[in-house]
Amino acid sequence: MLDEDIAISRFRRDLLLGMVVRALLLAGALVAIGVAPFSSRLDGGMLLLIVGGIWLALSYQSMKGSRLAARSPSLIAMGDFDEAERQIEEALRSFSIFRAAKLMSLHHLAMLRHAQRRWQESAMLAKAVLRQRLGALRGLSRSMRLILADSLLEMDDTHGAYQAISGLYNERLALGEAMNLQLVQLDYLWRIRAWQEMFHNVAAKVQLAELMPTGGAARSQALMALAARKVGREDWTAWLMERAQLLVDPFQLVLERPVLAELWTITPQTTAQLKQ
Amino acid sequence: MLDVPLLLERSHPLPRRNWMRYAVVAFVVLILFGSIAGNNTPQFQTALRLISAFLMVVLVAVMGLVMYLTVRDHRAEQNRMLALEEMVQLRRWEPAATMLDQTLSRPMLNPYNHAQALLYLSTVLARYHRYEDAIAVHDYLLDVLHLEGPAGFAARLGRAMSMVHEDHLVDADRAISELRRMSGDESAGLTLIEIYRDVKTGHPAEAIDLFTGRRDLLRGQLGHRFADACVLAAKAYDLVGQSDRAATAYRDATILSPVVELNRRYPEVTKLAEKYPAATVPSEAA
Repeated sequence: MLDEDIAISRFRRDLLLGMVVRALLLAGALVAIGVAPFSSRLDGGMLLLIVGGIWLALSYQSMKGSRLAARSPSLIAMGDFDEAERQIEEALRSFSIFRAAKLMSLHHLAMLRHAQRRWQESAMLAKAVLRQRLGALRGLSRSMRLILADSLLEMDDTHGAYQAISGLYNERLALGEAMNLQLVQLDYLWRIRAWQEMFHNVAAKVQLAELMPTGGAARSQALMALAARKVGREDWTAWLMERAQLLVDPFQLVLERPVLAELWTITPQTTAQLKQ
Repeated sequence: MLDVPLLLERSHPLPRRNWMRYAVVAFVVLILFGSIAGNNTPQFQTALRLISAFLMVVLVAVMGLVMYLTVRDHRAEQNRMLALEEMVQLRRWEPAATMLDQTLSRPMLNPYNHAQALLYLSTVLARYHRYEDAIAVHDYLLDVLHLEGPAGFAARLGRAMSMVHEDHLVDADRAISELRRMSGDESAGLTLIEIYRDVKTGHPAEAIDLFTGRRDLLRGQLGHRFADACVLAAKAYDLVGQSDRAATAYRDATILSPVVELNRRYPEVTKLAEKYPAATVPSEAA
């Protein structure tokens, strides 16, 4: 099992090493083009050939690492965590001249820990990615912020979660990100008892929930049903409760979010049975 | 719009031109050029080296430009794919059809995007009840592009569903058997197709068995599309005269999905609306 502290320190070391190697190769190329033509002792063509050869070899090596890491999101989605872990570990261990490949590997490790419900580790990794200058990969920051916010909420850090998602409201989100943001936002709002805010624009929120996978769709509609009850809209409460319980067993929903016990009465015996 | 044979012909990615080969040849020529300089007079040497350095700078600049343009075009195609995915998911069919028409009217750059765009095309065609065209797209994906893995499985599911819609029942049976060999009893999409086939071919008891036996699988994998299984189960219950159960299943279906959408997907269930009440939906959500 890959330790997060080691992964982060190795990631930082490799970024530095990659930067030094790139700088050396660039300097070599500049010398070959700019200085060698004026020197009788330096063969510019040969120097450039050597620099180009090293660059190609390292690029090939880096590409192999990137290709390894590219498969891990689908493995995570399929629930094959062991294989995903193995591939991410291999990608993180291999040297890459490209910064983006290393960033993607750490990003995938954060996704994996989040899927494994190891909240503390996923939050730590997400913070490590967000601390980097992402450049062309700035899209990563959105998914990392969502993972960070969700992990912090699971650890009951509402303030940290708010900080993580507040920057997302001004960004244009992809549909999948908008769905994740809605889930995180609802989870945050019930914790601060902002029922009006949860119920605001409920029809649009329900439309988005309909596109989610079963678990997310059920949980978000159950939380909206609770908000509807708090603001006195029983018509919405009844409809949303029925939708949620058609998708997922209400006991399961209450087990995940005990606040939903206000909607479905559950005896301690049932809870104990479910936990077993 | 959406002339399928034309789009299939035009969208096929062109073989990639290997610019790297030209660059390597130019690179070697420049090195030879530089080494010729070593065998001449000092003035000629300096002139040749300067020309060689200048040409190398030009070569690097041209390679950089080619790479920039390639990346830009690939990124634009990727953005179009993301937009298409959103339109299909949000059921914005008309803009999706227009964008697919534009995207597939010229060779695509990335073979993966090409296959993905064709899968979206088949979804849009099925939405417009052009099932024969959808089957043609699926055949192309499976027989010409040899699509495998989860995307290949999705294409096979789409093809089987279109076959059931078009009453190609022998072909559909063969396709279902093939899918069952690939997935066992683990695919909710396949179960839905089997339920639909049983309802269409007058085997409601089998459809009910599938629905009750695999209810958890269906709702776990289909999300809100579980409504499709419920409405087909309602039809099956109705066919065997179990009105109470038909009413419950119909209500469940209409809790999860609007009646008009269910009727559009499965014309066979349209009459159920006259016999069984749909769920009450809050006015703002209707």
